Amino acid sequence: MSKIVIIEDTEKIREELKNFLIRYGYEAVAPINFENIINDTLKEEPNLILLDINLPIYDGYYICREIRKISDVPIIVVTSRDTEMDELMSMNLGADDFVTKPYNTQILLARIETILRRVQGSNIRDTLIYNDLKLNLSNGSVTYKGKVAELTKNEIKIITCLYKYKGKIVSRDDLMDFMWNADVFVDDNNLSVNVARLRKKLEGLGMQKNIETRRGLGYILP
Amino acid sequence: MSIKEYLKDRTVFLLINFTLYIIISGILLLININSKVILLTFCIWFFPILVYIMIEYVKQKLLYNELNHIMDHLDKKYLLTEIMKKPENIEGKLLYDVLRRANKDMHEHVNNYRDRENEYREYIETWVHEIKTPIASTRLIIENNQNDITRNIKEEVKKIEEYIEQVLYYSRSNNVSKDYLIKEVSLADLVKRVIKRNSRDFISKGIIIDIEAVEGTVYSDAKWLEFIVNQVIGNATKYNREHDGRVTISTDRNENNIVLTIEDNGIGIIDKDISRVFEKGFTGENGREFGKSTGLGLYLCKKLAEQLGLGLIITSKMGEGTRVKLIFPLGSVNLIH
Repeated sequence: MSKIVIIEDTEKIREELKNFLIRYGYEAVAPINFENIINDTLKEEPNLILLDINLPIYDGYYICREIRKISDVPIIVVTSRDTEMDELMSMNLGADDFVTKPYNTQILLARIETILRRVQGSNIRDTLIYNDLKLNLSNGSVTYKGKVAELTKNEIKIITCLYKYKGKIVSRDDLMDFMWNADVFVDDNNLSVNVARLRKKLEGLGMQKNIETRRGLGYILP
Repeated sequence: MSIKEYLKDRTVFLLINFTLYIIISGILLLININSKVILLTFCIWFFPILVYIMIEYVKQKLLYNELNHIMDHLDKKYLLTEIMKKPENIEGKLLYDVLRRANKDMHEHVNNYRDRENEYREYIETWVHEIKTPIASTRLIIENNQNDITRNIKEEVKKIEEYIEQVLYYSRSNNVSKDYLIKEVSLADLVKRVIKRNSRDFISKGIIIDIEAVEGTVYSDAKWLEFIVNQVIGNATKYNREHDGRVTISTDRNENNIVLTIEDNGIGIIDKDISRVFEKGFTGENGREFGKSTGLGLYLCKKLAEQLGLGLIITSKMGEGTRVKLIFPLGSVNLIH
């Protein structure tokens, strides 16, 4: 499990962000005391740091610079200052990414995931497994009991999304939202067609119980 | 200033001299002085006067010509007293001093207003950054407590965010030099980012998006561009039909520009409104009908586009759709390889 340290002085955001990250399967730590923030953070040996810029005692730029002197841990700067200059400055100080407040939480998650995947090596999150169905993201194929099928880009996105919700119903709107956020701008009909095609491919692999449609609710991978 | 005007200005002086001369020559005639002597007196009297007038005329003419010349070529006319040579005659000096005092007073006046405006803008920008913190936490709270109620709140929060962004860009729209960074912007990435921001509206209204033909890079400020494109695409979804709505975005590369076209098949803009859509506070038929137009969006777009050196053109047919063209000229700041 990846450990994320949140350096943020607004209590509400700190707590909610912590809960949010925990809910998505990360270990989140949010220090409250900022006096020894650099040492406290590094002591946690985090996999990633979310860093606010406007902080008491030391500002984020300083912290970022100091951490970089000692450690290569990925840092995502999170700030309400949104000018290009702020972004440039953060990047120059060694931050890995820059997200402006108020952020779209899904985008923040995606950024975190991307950076972690890059840092921790590509194969960790490239293969997803659920009920004997193995999804290989790097070559876009699914494997079920030894049989392999190639998927198109859209089909991969659909099944990845269903995977994320593991056994929960995903509404069509949420599924569309997920796909749009991944640069696949499908319309309603297209989505139905893609789901049908994907279902057929999975059936072809001998997977009888695959994607189900729950009328009025959405899709589910049981 | 012609010689005639100049002489006219000195009529009284010349008249007095003439009258005096006539009186004196009358007296001289009465005491039988030779008329040659009288003529000579005329020459001795008037030659220096005329020479003096001519010299003064030339001097003044040169001075005023120079002033006019400076004035015509001066970008900031109020800097005249800084540029002009200090006149040497007493009238010129007086005029110069009066001008300087008037100028100084005007400067103070303008500075006063500029300071006030700056202060206000700084306050607005600080405020915008502060308000973002509670919005960010609201978003997180919503995310951590998802249900139908929070989903509705999320929609409203999104609107608040858009309005806040508008405030920020409004306060910046008069001051390009600040927060302005030219870099390479991929039009396809830009368009995708904006579409993602509006994905909810597209999906809930079932609007089909076509961005197949978007390509190319331009050099511009990415944030400002995003604001403009977001406003235009936002309008394209807002004023679209509920069914079979479509937004097509494409780029055309011409000899000396790249044109980004955003086209929808929505309700369109009525002819009498189209020329006024960029006016501040103008809402038009659509704005009234939809009841949520502030009339600031397109005004700001136009203003920001001008600051960025881009062209922005809207054409529309009532009931058929609207087409917005954003033109990036080649070879200027927006140089494209």
